[in-house]
Amino acid sequence: MKRYNQNNRSKTLFLRLSGFVLAAIVLAGCTKDFKKYNTDQTGISNANLDITSVFKPLQHELFHNYQTAQNLSADGFSGYMMSPTPFKAAYDLNYFLIDGWDSNGFNDMYTYIMAPVNKIAASGARTAHPDLWAVALIVKVEAMHRVTDKFGPIPYSKVGTSLVSTPYDSQHSVYNQFFLQLDTAVNNLQAFVAANPGKTPFQNYDLIFNGDYTKWIKFANSLRLRLAMHIVKIDPATAKLQGEKALSAPGGLMSTPADDAAIMVTGGTSDLYMITHDWGDNRLNATMGSYLVGYKDPRTSIYAQPAADPAVAGTYTGIRIGAALASKNDYEDYASLNTNTTFIPTKPEQLMCAAESWFLKAEAALRGWAGAGDAQANYEQGVKVSMQQWGANIGLYLSDAVSTQAPYVDPKNSANNSPAVSSITIKWDPNASNEQKLERIMTQKWLAMFPEGQEAWTEFRRTGYPKLFTVVNNKSNGTIDTQIQIRRLNYPQNEYSTNGTAVRAAVQLLGGPDNAGTRLWWDVNKGNF
Amino acid sequence: MRKPLQLSCFLVCIAASTYAASPVMTVNGNWSGSPVIAGKQQLKTIQRPVKGTVRDSNGATLIGVSVRVKGTTNGTQTDVNGQFTLNCNTGDVLVFSYIGYSSQEATVGTAETINITLTPSNDQLQQVVVTALGIRRSEKSLTYSAQQINGDELTRAKSDNLINNLSGKVAGLTIAPSASGVGGSAKVVLRGNKSFSGTNQPLYVVDGIPMTNGSNSNGQPNSPYGGSTSVDGGDGISNLNPDDVESISVLKGAAASALYGSQGANGVILITTKKGKAGKAQITFNSSAMASGVAYKPEFQNSYGRTTAKSNDSWGTSAAGQDNLGQFFQTGYNWTNSINLSAGSELAQTYVSYANTHATGVEPGNKLDRNNFNLRETAKFLDQKLTVDGSINYINQQIDNSPALGLYFNPLTGLYLFPRGADITQYKNQYLLGDQTGYARQNWDVSEDIQQNPWWVVNRNPNYSIRNRVLMNGSVKYDFTDWLNLQVRGSLDRTADSYEQDLYSGTQSTLSKANGQFILNNQVVEQKYGDALLTFRVPNTTTVKVDGLVGASITDSRRTGTTLGGGQGLSTPDLFIAQNTIVSGTNSNAATLAENHSQLQSIYGNVNLSYNDWVFLNVTGRNDWSSNLAFTPNGSYFYPSAGLSVLLSHVVKLPSAITYAKIRGNYAEVGNSVPQYVTNPVNYLDNTGSVVLSTVAPFGTLKPEKTKTWEIGADLRFFNDDLSISANYYKSNTYNQFVQVAPSPTTGYSVGYVNAGNVQNSGFEFVVGYNVIHNSNFKWNTSFNGSRNVNKVIDVDSKDGINQFTLTNNNNTNYKSILATGGSYGDIYGYTVKRDAQGRILLNADGSPQTNNGFNYIGNPNPKFQLGWANSFNYKNFNLNLLVDGRFGGQVLSLTQAIMDQYGVSKVTGDARASGGATVNGVNATTGTPVTNVDAKTWYTSIGGRQGISEMYMYSATTVRLREASLGYTFPLNSKGVKSLRLAVVGRNLLYFYKKAPYDPEMTMSTGNGLSGVDIFTQPATRNIGLNLNVTF
Repeated sequence: MKRYNQNNRSKTLFLRLSGFVLAAIVLAGCTKDFKKYNTDQTGISNANLDITSVFKPLQHELFHNYQTAQNLSADGFSGYMMSPTPFKAAYDLNYFLIDGWDSNGFNDMYTYIMAPVNKIAASGARTAHPDLWAVALIVKVEAMHRVTDKFGPIPYSKVGTSLVSTPYDSQHSVYNQFFLQLDTAVNNLQAFVAANPGKTPFQNYDLIFNGDYTKWIKFANSLRLRLAMHIVKIDPATAKLQGEKALSAPGGLMSTPADDAAIMVTGGTSDLYMITHDWGDNRLNATMGSYLVGYKDPRTSIYAQPAADPAVAGTYTGIRIGAALASKNDYEDYASLNTNTTFIPTKPEQLMCAAESWFLKAEAALRGWAGAGDAQANYEQGVKVSMQQWGANIGLYLSDAVSTQAPYVDPKNSANNSPAVSSITIKWDPNASNEQKLERIMTQKWLAMFPEGQEAWTEFRRTGYPKLFTVVNNKSNGTIDTQIQIRRLNYPQNEYSTNGTAVRAAVQLLGGPDNAGTRLWWDVNKGNF
Repeated sequence: MRKPLQLSCFLVCIAASTYAASPVMTVNGNWSGSPVIAGKQQLKTIQRPVKGTVRDSNGATLIGVSVRVKGTTNGTQTDVNGQFTLNCNTGDVLVFSYIGYSSQEATVGTAETINITLTPSNDQLQQVVVTALGIRRSEKSLTYSAQQINGDELTRAKSDNLINNLSGKVAGLTIAPSASGVGGSAKVVLRGNKSFSGTNQPLYVVDGIPMTNGSNSNGQPNSPYGGSTSVDGGDGISNLNPDDVESISVLKGAAASALYGSQGANGVILITTKKGKAGKAQITFNSSAMASGVAYKPEFQNSYGRTTAKSNDSWGTSAAGQDNLGQFFQTGYNWTNSINLSAGSELAQTYVSYANTHATGVEPGNKLDRNNFNLRETAKFLDQKLTVDGSINYINQQIDNSPALGLYFNPLTGLYLFPRGADITQYKNQYLLGDQTGYARQNWDVSEDIQQNPWWVVNRNPNYSIRNRVLMNGSVKYDFTDWLNLQVRGSLDRTADSYEQDLYSGTQSTLSKANGQFILNNQVVEQKYGDALLTFRVPNTTTVKVDGLVGASITDSRRTGTTLGGGQGLSTPDLFIAQNTIVSGTNSNAATLAENHSQLQSIYGNVNLSYNDWVFLNVTGRNDWSSNLAFTPNGSYFYPSAGLSVLLSHVVKLPSAITYAKIRGNYAEVGNSVPQYVTNPVNYLDNTGSVVLSTVAPFGTLKPEKTKTWEIGADLRFFNDDLSISANYYKSNTYNQFVQVAPSPTTGYSVGYVNAGNVQNSGFEFVVGYNVIHNSNFKWNTSFNGSRNVNKVIDVDSKDGINQFTLTNNNNTNYKSILATGGSYGDIYGYTVKRDAQGRILLNADGSPQTNNGFNYIGNPNPKFQLGWANSFNYKNFNLNLLVDGRFGGQVLSLTQAIMDQYGVSKVTGDARASGGATVNGVNATTGTPVTNVDAKTWYTSIGGRQGISEMYMYSATTVRLREASLGYTFPLNSKGVKSLRLAVVGRNLLYFYKKAPYDPEMTMSTGNGLSGVDIFTQPATRNIGLNLNVTF
């Protein structure tokens, strides 16, 4: 009997004690803290977000996945660069397009530019910080014109409106939106500068112009001129309208190297340095070498680094696009980019140089646009500004009426050899035809815009200049004509699986099959004049 | 919703109060004592209560042992603590009987206590099985299959990860050791892979408490390149000292593990550790020394040298090859010494052990040092009603130079690809050019991201994984009556990991900075666990017996840590301290690891019913609340199971040859944990201090994965138990898989999640044991275990139109691991050739093959059938054990071979050149002319390489090997000091009876879900031979 009681008593005490501790915890709530536990305390919630802090990545990510998004495609197609690395037997540089590479140039711009810009809009910046909103718009236009100029119709106006499907806009519509958005951006910034002279609230978040809004205005105006020129063949009226708007803009165009738009390196090492120097995956293109050498261009040793390979030692022999590459060290020691003094780890990554706007003005003058000035003066100023930008001694360059592109000789494989494809000289010839003048302008613009291959490829497609060596091996299975060269990139395969209806409709807008031989909207197969 | 929650809280808090409660119990003790004894003395002349405890030979108490006065119906059973009380007279003979054990008799004398140790009736120790939550049950009452492995089997031929010792011994268990040298992890899968994104490894439970099994902050690699922070740092299970393990129970099916609810989907491996034994003081010393060597080497050609003096390939003119591998690989050693001391009285037992493991790998510099300290104390108070059990484990482990797997930081790439005919000795003797600076310091004539001087990698890219782990367990159990007790447990498992890699100035420029780089990642993983368990057995029942338990637990896991790395490398070359690292501008090269915090709260219960000891019904239920499900509408999930077993041999008249026959069946639903934070993604700072906006779509409807499974089986014994057969058939379907999907980036999101999918695993297992010979001099016991699992991905995410899920992306190689609807887990996708209707390969004019677009299915690495065959021979004092195991079916990819072919170093490329070209069954695609011979260089440089045609490098994964062998001798001793002495010669992985792949297909690059069935310069498997000494004092 007693034993039973004792058991009972000890049990009671035990439970009572447990109950006491229990009560303390129940009062605190057991799953109440689950939301706190399930929130990563090392992150920043949307509620605690300072919207200015997203601007640095926004600018930096313009070159996201630079190697696959641009270097292994546009930088090669533009005649600037070529990889010595046999990544695969068939890949973009011999016209077999690798979806996993090319899709980065599409997907990343939505993920890293469009989505954040939408969040900036959602934060109320449009009215609360019209100046920041203007910068966001300029970055957006800069980013997305690179996308539409690669692929054609793209999702633009409807981005972020649906989790399931995003319709594509025609390229015509996209360009019209670009112009409108640049209007807003420039207006906002003009108003801000007028109201707050000398103020640079954006300085700590600006990787391009150190917070100087007057330079952002010049960049926006120059970008408008660039975009206007892109569509000059398909829509000359709009091109002229927008072009003249840019030429007469009160904020002006980019005119000296101080206006250059280039992104400061934040990741420690510039993409070009990493790809070229650290990884050894990038070398000078044969076309670039042949023009630099043929023109005895003062920028040669600034842009490029001579070959170390015994077969071509000391020369600026680059690699021909589409060359057969058996093993990496076959061409690794051919001429490269100058990573010793020019394309160093901290070299800002160029979006647009002032020289380009002078060449755009030169072309505008050829086309008779109001406010463009004199074609020759603009052309020569473009060359001078470029020499200034790179610290090259211009010497008698502008009066050289003899030098032309050099032929290309590859002692390792004669299949890569090519005679010069261009006979255009440097010195301005007022008596030349408009076509010849354009070739001269475009060739010098191309030399000046180095190393930004995306715009160079766009302008080559639009005008056919400068004349580029064709690919040695074309593995496109007949979708790309070797002589006409590559016109666009394929839509990412993931769009077909995740946004299928929209992308199939976009192919209708494209007006041709979704392959790299189809011309874009502005890429009209007719003469330049 | 709220009520069960509060009950959960209630029980959980009991757990939390473990230590608060225990001192009070001691006070309670003062109330009992003398009055009771006085009462007993008064009853001396008539029937009096005799009490005692029944244990097995390992000292563990046995529940439900029948205790009867011989020749009467007077009897009882032992309670959940193995204790009994029975009224009897002096001179009565008590009969103790328990299934699977020899009956034993004891005469009642004047003593009040009779303690009995039952010995097993035959060699099958599996008849009392440790089940979920550490509860021992007689095998006959189990409604599911569980296989128990004795501690001896784990230590017979030691491996540096104790779990590898289960290989070939458990039906339905597949173990793939990481090819990452000494101290590496192991991938353990029971009854097939089930989960797309969650873990597929079982839950490890040590003495009833779930244990963390994590690696350091590196996790597991999932890129063909590997990299500086993806080397394997070892898993949690490998930290344990195998000599501390009493037994391992493998609960394969969900019904067996259903009490673990949302953690039970992949089965449970229950580890029971040793504790002190009552009435015995003993010191055991174990020493083992093993030597290991590479079990095979890739085959090289020895006739052709490099193309030019500087080229990195071997497609040139004739040159005599050399044995470069012999200069690199070394003999590895493993010395394990352990000592354990145990002593105890009926009231308190102590167990202390220390183990030291020192192992070196077959790659120079690879080294493991591990120290395990263990103290366990068990004691009884309050008239033996209160049992307190506490243990502290401290583990200190350092692994140096875990070999990197894949293409980066791997010494084997440079070693294998080194041009044939050139002399590698100079690079071995001098890997550092002292007169150079920056990248030029490395003495190696090939500049390529994927290869460096092997001795440079070993000496100048070292890595160190340091782990300090403390495991503390405490439990208090109180017996209210002989049919009801409450146990409260708490544990702390704290692992501090540090991973360091020093990249010296001179490391290849893709991989490091000119002045070198310093990488240091620290993390602490802490798991706190508490539970309360009320165990009951309805008293005074005869035909229908009911027992069961209710319990609650709380598990809180948290990872915190900091990483340092990247940036601009070092200021002063080769000085590897944090303040010497440099960054640019406002950047940082330090990062706080995303904190992983999750908490699981559970209540559970279990009822067992039996009728006349021949029908057993088992029902369990568990409800889980997980913090990972916060921000979803439903944060609570219920997991039920039910099982039935019938002891046919008790009710049906069976032929006399059949001594035991049981059939069983069960159904269960269990879960698999979901990752934290996906219901509430946040934005993160990048290294410039800027916010990178999250592009992850919040998953507001996240549900845990659910596995529904059923199983039927039978256990039969024949000829006085000499032959035993156990067989199971099971089928499981896993739904609500956590699937990461990539919406169109134009939506603004790059990552989204859905619950979808259905992965089915079905298969059978059998275990057959036979005592072939057993006489006093010679015993031969043989056993087979076999299993087949068929895995089928029935659906990925058809409702969203998605039928593929990528486990490992190709990253510019020709290997991809994809789960596709209609396929099976681990399917390998790669590049394939185009063929005509006759199966001939379509060739271009130059002889290179034409390829199909994209990635196509080329094979699955999982075995179709596994068989283990164990033999044990005893002759007088000699003992011989042999374990042969085979894995049949499956295909694996060797990128090592593909890349060696591309570089022209492999034997096949030499043979093809010698015979005037590669033999192919091809046809010129344009002319239609058959082609049987293609220039060797053209052929192998187009099919070989990391981007080559992977279809050409698929090999049969079938292997049959002599897994373990040991020959031991036990010295006959009559010494007072030394009680026993046993010496054995042991070996592991001694012989491949069959192996067609150029590597050991069992080795894996990752113990995660990806990178299965592919070899990318992994360290060869090793063959191990050594000596084992076991002394008991």
